[in-house]
Amino acid sequence: MVYTQRTPWTLIMGVIMVAYAYLVQSGALEVVIKYLGTGRHAGEMLTLGYTFGGIAILIGLWQLIAKAAEGHVDYYLSTIGGVIFIMLVAFIVKWGLDPQMAQWGRAAQPALGFNFASVMNLNYVVMGIVAGIVIVNVFKVPGWAENGVRLSRLGLKTGVILLGALYSFAELQQLGKLSIVLIGIFVLGSVGLVLWWGSRHNLPNSMTGVLSAGVGVCGVSAAVAAAPVVQAKSTEIAYTIGTILLFGVICMFLFPIVGKALGMGYITFGAWAGTGILNSAQVAGAALAFQPTGIETLKVAEIFNITRVLFLPIIVIWLAIWYVKREVGAQKVDVGQVLVSKFPVFVLGFILMFLLSSTGIFAPARHYQGSYFDNSDKVMIRKDRSGKEINNYLKDPDLEVLKKDAAKITRDDQKTALQRLIENKKLMSIEDDDTLRGVVNAKILSKEGNAVLTKAHRAVRHTAAKIAMFRDLIAWFFTFGLIGLGMQITMASIKQAGGQPLVIGSVVGVIKAVGSLIVVLLLVHETI
Amino acid sequence: MPRVRGTGIFLFVMPDFTHILIASHGTAGAQAAEQAALAWCRAGGRLSHLVVVPDLWRGMMGDDWLNNASTRDTYGKYVENELRREIDVHIGRLRSQASAAGIAYEFKVMLGKPTECLLAYSREVAPALVVIGAPRPRGLPGLRSRIHPERLVVALTAPLLVIPYPR
Repeated sequence: MVYTQRTPWTLIMGVIMVAYAYLVQSGALEVVIKYLGTGRHAGEMLTLGYTFGGIAILIGLWQLIAKAAEGHVDYYLSTIGGVIFIMLVAFIVKWGLDPQMAQWGRAAQPALGFNFASVMNLNYVVMGIVAGIVIVNVFKVPGWAENGVRLSRLGLKTGVILLGALYSFAELQQLGKLSIVLIGIFVLGSVGLVLWWGSRHNLPNSMTGVLSAGVGVCGVSAAVAAAPVVQAKSTEIAYTIGTILLFGVICMFLFPIVGKALGMGYITFGAWAGTGILNSAQVAGAALAFQPTGIETLKVAEIFNITRVLFLPIIVIWLAIWYVKREVGAQKVDVGQVLVSKFPVFVLGFILMFLLSSTGIFAPARHYQGSYFDNSDKVMIRKDRSGKEINNYLKDPDLEVLKKDAAKITRDDQKTALQRLIENKKLMSIEDDDTLRGVVNAKILSKEGNAVLTKAHRAVRHTAAKIAMFRDLIAWFFTFGLIGLGMQITMASIKQAGGQPLVIGSVVGVIKAVGSLIVVLLLVHETI
Repeated sequence: MPRVRGTGIFLFVMPDFTHILIASHGTAGAQAAEQAALAWCRAGGRLSHLVVVPDLWRGMMGDDWLNNASTRDTYGKYVENELRREIDVHIGRLRSQASAAGIAYEFKVMLGKPTECLLAYSREVAPALVVIGAPRPRGLPGLRSRIHPERLVVALTAPLLVIPYPR
């Protein structure tokens, strides 16, 4: 079978991308960029525009001129159109719709009383997923793009693998422990609750089985893995997947709104989203919706996602044994085979990246955890592009604020760290920085005092250029993956949500979301 | 006087169609339509049976991204087999009923939107009458994928008979 379709669209999209990059480079779009405030993205507009546009032009010409022959090369090349299609949507959303929506949000604030774009988290991630959903349901994904759209799964997995490089051992250890406890309680709890409910209401075992996996573990992925094992009927699968998708999409919008309303931090929100959202794709979506300009929340949420997926083979085996016990003639399951076939191989890639980064092969170890500490004069006093000097030492009014607030601190280590800051006008060590971050988190000082401490913290914490690029790359992989997955959420499948699965899924989903919120707020702290 | 089994409908005229197209998918409403089609088709006539696998199944992998290709493949094959098994049961039942009534039976399974599939199959077999079941009443369980009679009325070239849902 030949997969490549003869279409001019790959070429057209390539020309659009290259033309856009050229217009940015030539300054012709300066007015638009200034209006939208997207100057900080100019670098990636050029790099990504020329790179993807160039590839699209080459492949587009090949698709038009050459005759495709069966084989692996044909299949791989047939994916390019879809990849470029998703990237074009991502460019439009990230560089156009996102800043425009932010402007509309600000403009409507006086009339509405709130910034709807900010409150509803209408950033490029959310709008990208929505764009994907709109495309598949209103316009349909074109045939020439279908193979490429399927690659979005690979994009997300690659994002997770690369993310592995950005964890410190302590982070991974602590988040790992936390996720095992929370996921253990809520996954096993919700699977058990659905099984109990199903048997109490005499629901078919096949329906109860597939629903418990979907609602309990990681949503659609778990339902897909469990359906053959519990011999689910077609309508039961449709009900379950419809329910999970419906619930997942709603959660992706609601969780960040609630998280921000409750003033949650990156860790608490990541832990909550990672535990409480039924469907794993929407966990990443909610994390990026909550924090679109950084990946700290995503890092936490993805650890929870990985823990969930590691639970999946165990749950599938549990359900298989449970089903065999209840159904005469049900096929016994080969435990070893299930463990091997359901093991998520990409998690090994994640671990490998973590191990490689720990050796310092990509960048010095201290650079990985987001920002590294440097308080030398070279970074405290520097010049901006126009040659104007920027002095990051604390000024006298700042010091006055701190002196006034100093009496509020009771702990000795915090007093000492603050005293050293006041004396030197800058943070003197990582330990002092960490100690005073604790003061900020605990909101011991006045609002002004906290602002000064945050200013001092920012002056000595820096993100390595290489790591910043790496983070951007990861964010792009997730953006690509999430937009592509959005293109696979059809209203026809969501409309199947109904029957007992909708009732049970909604009740258990709400219990899980609210229960995990309470546990996270009570037990999880915003520092690692 | 023929009686459409299960529907409570009594037909006061004796229709004599030689070729009927029935679109059904095994639900109670569709089974009532099948009985009407069998009752209205002349012995020695022809019954063309359309079974539509709704294209909503294309999206039934949803946004799964965690599973590996082998798990997705297993799931895809399982769903295919499950749908095939359900369709086989359904076709087998109608085939035996048609055979008992002395009606020639043929079937076609199509993947797509039910209304479009029915229109396409109707163009292909050119029946004398098209029979469908009425939409399922609200609140009853079943897949949300239905034929739109109002669109058929406009596009079909054969008469359309809509059998009420059995109550």
